[in-house]
Amino acid sequence: METLLEVKDLHVHFPTPDGVVKAVDGLSFSVRRRETFGIVGESGSGKSVTNLTALGLIDRKAARVSGEVLFKGRDLLSLSKEELRRVRGKELAMIFQDPFACLHPFYRVGDQIVEAILCHDNVSKRQAEQRAIDLLGAVGIPRPQDRFRDYPHQYSGGMRQRAMIAMALSHNPDLLIADEPTTALDVTVQAQILELIDRIKNEFNVGVILITHDLGVVADVAQSVMVMYAGRAVELGTRDEVFENPQHPYTWGLLESIPHIDQKGSRLIPIEGSPPSLIHVPPGCSFHPRCPHRFEPCDKEVPALVDRGSGHLDACHLSVEDKERIWNEREARRTKAVS
Amino acid sequence: MSSTAPAPRVTSPKTSGEPLVAVEGLTKYFPITKGIVLQKEVARVHAVEDVTFSVFPGETLGLVGESGCGKSTTARLLLKLLPATRGRIFFEGEDITGHSRRQMRPLRREMQMIFQDPYASLNPRQTVGQIIGAPFRIHKTEGEVKKRVQELMDRVGLNPEHYNRYAHEFSGGQRQRIGVARALALRPKLIVCDEPVSALDVSIQAQILNLLEDLQDEFKLTYIFISHDLGVVRHIADRIAVMYLGRVVEIARADELYEDPKHPYTSALLSAVPKGHGKGSVANRIVLEGDVPSPIDPPSGCPFHPRCPKARQVGGPEDGLPQNCVHEMPPLGDVAPNHVAACWYPLKKDESLQRAAHA
Repeated sequence: METLLEVKDLHVHFPTPDGVVKAVDGLSFSVRRRETFGIVGESGSGKSVTNLTALGLIDRKAARVSGEVLFKGRDLLSLSKEELRRVRGKELAMIFQDPFACLHPFYRVGDQIVEAILCHDNVSKRQAEQRAIDLLGAVGIPRPQDRFRDYPHQYSGGMRQRAMIAMALSHNPDLLIADEPTTALDVTVQAQILELIDRIKNEFNVGVILITHDLGVVADVAQSVMVMYAGRAVELGTRDEVFENPQHPYTWGLLESIPHIDQKGSRLIPIEGSPPSLIHVPPGCSFHPRCPHRFEPCDKEVPALVDRGSGHLDACHLSVEDKERIWNEREARRTKAVS
Repeated sequence: MSSTAPAPRVTSPKTSGEPLVAVEGLTKYFPITKGIVLQKEVARVHAVEDVTFSVFPGETLGLVGESGCGKSTTARLLLKLLPATRGRIFFEGEDITGHSRRQMRPLRREMQMIFQDPYASLNPRQTVGQIIGAPFRIHKTEGEVKKRVQELMDRVGLNPEHYNRYAHEFSGGQRQRIGVARALALRPKLIVCDEPVSALDVSIQAQILNLLEDLQDEFKLTYIFISHDLGVVRHIADRIAVMYLGRVVEIARADELYEDPKHPYTSALLSAVPKGHGKGSVANRIVLEGDVPSPIDPPSGCPFHPRCPKARQVGGPEDGLPQNCVHEMPPLGDVAPNHVAACWYPLKKDESLQRAAHA
């Protein structure tokens, strides 16, 4: 499958009176067509800033941005505002977390989708309306002809998110960025929306970047996963590789600290401490103050993101043998605790 | 004012004897009014409808359901922070339904609450010492407040030297520890935890859950734990009550509920949770059609019938649904030992539900 988006060594720094906030600090990854690329991390790990930068939604006067964001071969960071506007919303679309805040309460849902269509396409209002109705139907809104005339408050949370997805799809984009699309929704509705995103990926032939803090969501729908910590990628690989053969101590910690629904809880193993301030990112590996396996070079050298074969990358100083030994030990401890 | 508490219907292995708290037929309607001077009730929100359960000393009862199902309202009614429309509330066998504020005051020491949002539930203009010390001052306890507050801070994992800091100087996880310390101050018997970890990152969430478990063992606490996160509830709860549209639809021991759910809604809710280990979990998922109906105008009969895959499977004369599902509310009845569910057609073990057809 063709590569749609390629991010190369992206840095996004915000100078503030208290110091420079290193929101994204040397990030590289790529997303292919018809692939769901999951980005996981805790709040403040740089997940959202990465994508806002790609979309040109970061104020370039307030931020220092370097690196490249290649979208179908063109560097989005070097485009002018006008050029970017032609790409954004048309080839590159976004779904946000809060569907309550993203629809204008005074305008009918249908009119808002029509506006999005007319923004980039030279069609008549009537044609645009028909397309909006078709889109609402395609994302699973019942009776789209009637629902087209409703105001946002007449929609439930799940339906608003569907309407947002319809709007994002209105120009057949190549890449869809979904930033925590289900966080504000209930689990049963979350399941519906995740299924919808999975379906449109094939129907509309798009690549999807799914940003979330929920490892469960990523495990369910993503093909590739990137784990972020303090503005850097710490692990990157296919879903199966990352979940079944995790390589980074932070990923281990995340997996172990989540209570699972299909097994009775033994004691949870939390990650000690809290995520660092992005102004004072610890030197060396930014995870080292919380890492139980830290050793000599961890507080001095930043570990590089290295491919350990089969496209599974991780940024950790531990050797492959050590990691295998430690992971097996942790696994043994965990199964012992369960039984 | 004392009368007998309702007989416990579902017990947990951890506990026996008299329930600490029990509610019977608890109902709360919020009126929707029209008019400014002469307010006329035009409709009502059926927030909580005929809820009955008991909580035993030392156990954790999980209360789960989607937003708007009445979990938090139930907790607030139980603590008498809201007056109930109907029903009775018992605390240690005593009927407290009609208690005045003054009569409630001594009981308030016994029942405390931990809130969801550690940012909104702490006064930004007070120091940690003032926040945690407030319960001592309100209840005029003897002894030196500062020393006791610092002991509490130490116990919940905060540095006692931070006594004079303000809430904004702490991270989310630490703020939640402040909330825990405040709830713990008067050594209550019951703590209602309303989504205590929902606002926290996963790595911090585990720290708080472990803390709550340790404190329960140490101080013999009883928890009512409200959450929409089924993984968290399974981890911490001994028994779980599932709510849908203001009603309790199933109560069982945690393991049993997860392994052998009897109510179709419980089953669908469990299957909707992303499992976190990839493979195969999507295929077995029961995706419910539609949204939760409005509690202003709840469906007739069983509130779940319009979305219920089981009712559609059974079939019947009413639009392909069985008559009793559409017209009669199923009672919360025994479906297995220590396991109650409100369903006319409870699921058998390992019964697979077909995906609901598009409505």
